[in-house]
Amino acid sequence: MPETNRPAPNPAVAGFDELFSSNMLIVTGKGGVGKTTGAATLALAAVASGRRTLLVEVEGRQGFSRTFGTQPWDYTEREFRPGLWGASIDAAESVYEYLELFYGLKRMQWVMERSNALDFVTTAAPGLRDLLLVGKLYEIEQRRRPDGRRQYDLIVVDAPPTGRIIPFLQAPEGVTEIVRVGPIRRQAGQIKEMLTDPGRVQAVLVTLLEEMPVRETSEGIAALKSADIAIGPVLANQVVTPRLGPRTLHTVMAGGAEGLRERVAATGARMSGRTAELALELAHAHTDRVAFQAGLWAELAEGCGVPVLSLPLLTGATFDVGDLDVLADVVALQLGEDGPRATEELDEDAIAALLQRSGAEVGA
Amino acid sequence: MSRASLDEARTHTFADAITDAHILVATGAGGVGKTTTAAAIGLAAARAGRRTLVLTIDPARRLAQSMGLEGLGDEPALVELDDELPEGGELWAMMLDMQTTFDRLIDRHAGSAEEARSIKSNRIYRTLSSTLSGTQEYMAMERLHELHEAGEWDLLVIDTPPTRSALDFLDAPNRMTSFLEGRLLKLLLKPGMVAGRGIGKVVGAGATAFMRVAGRVTGMDLLQDLATFFRDFEGMYEGFKQRAQEVLELLRDPGSRFVVVTSPEPPPLREAKFFLERLEQEGLHAAGVVVNRIRPEVPQDPSDAALQRAVDELERADDPEGPASAAVLRLLGDVRNLAGRQRRDVTAALYSTNVDTLVEVPLLGGDIHDLDGLGVIATTLMTGRNG
Repeated sequence: MPETNRPAPNPAVAGFDELFSSNMLIVTGKGGVGKTTGAATLALAAVASGRRTLLVEVEGRQGFSRTFGTQPWDYTEREFRPGLWGASIDAAESVYEYLELFYGLKRMQWVMERSNALDFVTTAAPGLRDLLLVGKLYEIEQRRRPDGRRQYDLIVVDAPPTGRIIPFLQAPEGVTEIVRVGPIRRQAGQIKEMLTDPGRVQAVLVTLLEEMPVRETSEGIAALKSADIAIGPVLANQVVTPRLGPRTLHTVMAGGAEGLRERVAATGARMSGRTAELALELAHAHTDRVAFQAGLWAELAEGCGVPVLSLPLLTGATFDVGDLDVLADVVALQLGEDGPRATEELDEDAIAALLQRSGAEVGA
Repeated sequence: MSRASLDEARTHTFADAITDAHILVATGAGGVGKTTTAAAIGLAAARAGRRTLVLTIDPARRLAQSMGLEGLGDEPALVELDDELPEGGELWAMMLDMQTTFDRLIDRHAGSAEEARSIKSNRIYRTLSSTLSGTQEYMAMERLHELHEAGEWDLLVIDTPPTRSALDFLDAPNRMTSFLEGRLLKLLLKPGMVAGRGIGKVVGAGATAFMRVAGRVTGMDLLQDLATFFRDFEGMYEGFKQRAQEVLELLRDPGSRFVVVTSPEPPPLREAKFFLERLEQEGLHAAGVVVNRIRPEVPQDPSDAALQRAVDELERADDPEGPASAAVLRLLGDVRNLAGRQRRDVTAALYSTNVDTLVEVPLLGGDIHDLDGLGVIATTLMTGRNG
């Protein structure tokens, strides 16, 4: 192990084994905070740790296929990178599978009934759609390889946003109120058992360090806890890496826009007065933003009762799938594990700033 | 449409829509700032001398507080503004309650008070509004129609609820009426069943394979509730269908325009594009696109390469001003990269889409949660200029 990545004495999350201590991670968060990025990052970190991993999306958005640049995903689980499988599950498909399983009905018989079946599932029987999706997750989690090990070491689910996560996960209970007999009722109990076992399912909340998402995160954690669902770490997404602190800002401001322009001109580069003024404005806004985010980070770490891991805002000219590998390695570093692609891509100050918070440290 | 016309769209503003439209609907993916945009439009219209009502669904608490909306019910309330407004300019706001709207719709169309009560106590009805996709949005449009009929406001501004897809409400009236017509579920209304002569027999005799299995899977009492629900609803289909038609006609009126709200990230931009295309197909009028929280464009002086050289050189300088200047330049490079990414994403998503107006609202310090912040956005939407 390289000296620079020595495991820290006390990271907030002790290694991959703690982060991936459940069979399934349900990734949620307020709309627009980067749930898909968070889920993909966790899956890549799991693959890097040698775990056979399945990424699942449940809302048919094709977020992962776009993120990874693959063909559209469907109900079939496919390995699209070594050790990483993907599937996009769908309520109608689950119905057909379910009926085939329990009633021996052949899919062909259903072709004529397709739209009707979908109508029925999504409208007439409230919660049945969510139950079918959660039921499919349960089926995947139950699956075993011939040698008895689980088919996937880890299942990462890009779940509905916090506003809909509770009804989604409580669909089994909701359905037992409406459906009083039959196999769905029996299965609902087993699904609930899985969801409330911390060794099998944990929820991971993704947030931005902004006021509304942070508040929704705290509310989401409280709601998930009262539904008896274990909470894994929170992922703070798009954390701004400090480029300069108040003292540096003060030094630059003393020279003003004209001073900055002269320094730049001395290197042979040309900078207009307008750009120099913009640069100083941005420097002000940046230090404010860093302070604002640090305040929210502390509030979150204090208030949510679970560790907070940071995903930095990457400021390269492009953002692509390679950047997800960097983020996965940034997560690894915060666990006190190796993260070679992060140490290569990010500068030392940026990494030090991230690790300071997680409790992990980089050796001298 | 080509790049040139997207640039042209950037020179237009929402001033026309804010001063002439009777209805403005803010729509877009979750978390892009629809409520804030709707509130800023309302403020801009009030400043332009119009009596304006903003209907909102789930405002951020501090935004609601600043507008005096906290603890407010389903009725419009006047927002106290510090600004000196011209004659006639007023800003009103209200929070929508979907269930109340749905209940009122039932009361209006039910044949009798008894029938209305029976429907409202049916558990299928009680869960319908939350499970039938698009119903919430449709109820928002229904309330909009009701307020429009009342004729008390010059402009109504509404933000659509956060849903899986911002397009859902366009399909909602059709989906709702086809659900209420219940082509499939009409099977349940076969005479034997309505008379309550035993479900098992009827399902066994007449229903399709699907209904037989559905019955076995779900248990029969669900079907009984459905049967009751559809029987109660039977007399109301026509009223509902006609009402849905009126709502759609109101939305198709040239006085009703849609403001498509997005952030500069690819997923919400994709939704914005689909939404614009869908509006065109449906004969609805788009006022334009608002791109919220976009980073300021950084001029290309110095060039990226010159910037990097300057950073390297200044970092090695002996005095504290050198490395400090290098830090500012690195930050400038970061923002240039991010701003470039955002503008490429906006252009890539909206390329080949017909956009008349595109206003970019810059990323302000923190969240917008007061009237001053809304005032800044209101000015940007009216003039295209910031601050």
